[in-house]
Amino acid sequence: MSYILGFFSYIQGLGATVMMPIIICILGCIMGASFGKSLRAGLTVGVGFVGLNLVIGLMGSSLGAAVGAMSTRFGLSLSIIDVGWPSAAAIAFATQVGTFIIPVCLLTNIVLLFLRATQTVDVDIWNYWHFAFTGSLVAILTKSVGIGILAAIVNEVIVLVIGDVTGPDMEKVLDMPGVSIPHGYSGAFVPIAFVVNFVIDHIPGLKDVDVNLESIQKKFGVLGEPIIVGTIIGIILGLIAGDTVAQTLQLGVTLGGVLVLIPKMASLLMEGLMPVSEAAGGFIQKHMKGFGKMYIGLDSAVGVGNPLTLAIGLILVPLAILFAVILPGNHVLPFTDLAVLPYITVMVIPVCKGNGFRSLITGIICLIATLYIATDLSPLITVAAKQASFDMGTATAISSMCDGGNPLTWLLVRLYNLGNVAGMGIGIALAVFLIIWNKKRIAKIAKEVESETAAQ
Amino acid sequence: MKHILLVCGTGVATSTVARKKVEEALNDRGYKGKFTVDQGKVAEVGGLSPRYDLVVTTVRFDTSMSACPVIQGTQFLMGFGTGPVVDKIERALFGSDAK
Repeated sequence: MSYILGFFSYIQGLGATVMMPIIICILGCIMGASFGKSLRAGLTVGVGFVGLNLVIGLMGSSLGAAVGAMSTRFGLSLSIIDVGWPSAAAIAFATQVGTFIIPVCLLTNIVLLFLRATQTVDVDIWNYWHFAFTGSLVAILTKSVGIGILAAIVNEVIVLVIGDVTGPDMEKVLDMPGVSIPHGYSGAFVPIAFVVNFVIDHIPGLKDVDVNLESIQKKFGVLGEPIIVGTIIGIILGLIAGDTVAQTLQLGVTLGGVLVLIPKMASLLMEGLMPVSEAAGGFIQKHMKGFGKMYIGLDSAVGVGNPLTLAIGLILVPLAILFAVILPGNHVLPFTDLAVLPYITVMVIPVCKGNGFRSLITGIICLIATLYIATDLSPLITVAAKQASFDMGTATAISSMCDGGNPLTWLLVRLYNLGNVAGMGIGIALAVFLIIWNKKRIAKIAKEVESETAAQ
Repeated sequence: MKHILLVCGTGVATSTVARKKVEEALNDRGYKGKFTVDQGKVAEVGGLSPRYDLVVTTVRFDTSMSACPVIQGTQFLMGFGTGPVVDKIERALFGSDAK
């Protein structure tokens, strides 16, 4: 046993750029892909990681200088740099928890399917990173990889159940039958949406308010383009930091470049994961027939095109920067993840039944929570990045508004502030409760369908 | 040379999956070298679409934002039903008899 652990430890010590290709290559071969294909896939993931490191290192150094100057001149302590979800994903996959996350989460999904405790076949392997992210932070906090993996599993169970429960609404809104969204990020905001929706429903007057936001996309759509947003923010930061004209312009183009290059590097990561993802998906689908109403779990990206989602996502961009400056106790400088704000509302809007007003209120509440959570989790995230040999340039503290600001992640991580045993106990209890609850719910639906067909 | 813009939520994950599948499918049908595929976010469609012949999307959005025709490609994410979508893409770019 110690040989196996020692082996994994050695590979992890090689650094993510070597470790990830090896792991992906092995996984690919196990799943039945040819060695050549698996090797290429693994190397592609490694290259994606190299590229991301380069760009984030550049961003960290450029932003770091501006942040320092802002702090000296205006006393603004926005010292935590938002490196974005591609970095968070890369870090999550590269930690010790990340090494095991793909087989562990696949197994969990399969077990739950056999227990009839979920209706979702989660073929969205890429998004396992959310669970690995939570798990990695827990592993650092509790100093135990095992507990981290447990936290990741609990995270997955919760997200699968949320995906099942929102399934019918998402099918309708997306016009995609048979699809649910077991998404670690978007799903986390569903409970908040439920609460906001419920509260507003009980406030006379307010409960009938709606707002038409659709035209915002047409007028302000340019705020959604990374190249524009990055350059503008770079220039503003340069001005605030008191740089020369030359430095300001250079910062603008550099940061615009950073926001364009990050997705391209992350795209390479995704490409490398594809053979494993497809093989896993094919395997599950082949063996899971005749289980009643099934959903295919997809990335919440498929819902981002909704005009209301886009509109609220755009409104949240300037709000994020405003809140970052005025909220006391926030130290996060929103940047890379400004692009990800639409994902907050993808699953919120169906819960709010398409009501623009309620969705916007929910979005704003989630945004404020995001900034505080991202500030709170930053130390753990920074450690995880170091563990993954992630290049941060001269930045000393990083976070991500995406999963770094994820309320579910925060909950599952901070549970362990109560102690390892309490954290594990509550986590397991929650997961078991949800499994039993969902299993009953699924059985009830199946019976209703049966009696309907019998009555026909 | 035909230019395809593949669109998803962030231009990263889902559009990469769809791009690989579209490239493979079109190459298999003999169009290798006759097209390019770029990826983008759905929010960039307004700004980018004038430079392309076709937008293939894994996301549902208001197609009036696009300066060129749009084809839904969510099937590439789900892993089945892609044949008819590739047929549509082929017809839109190369016409049904061109080869």
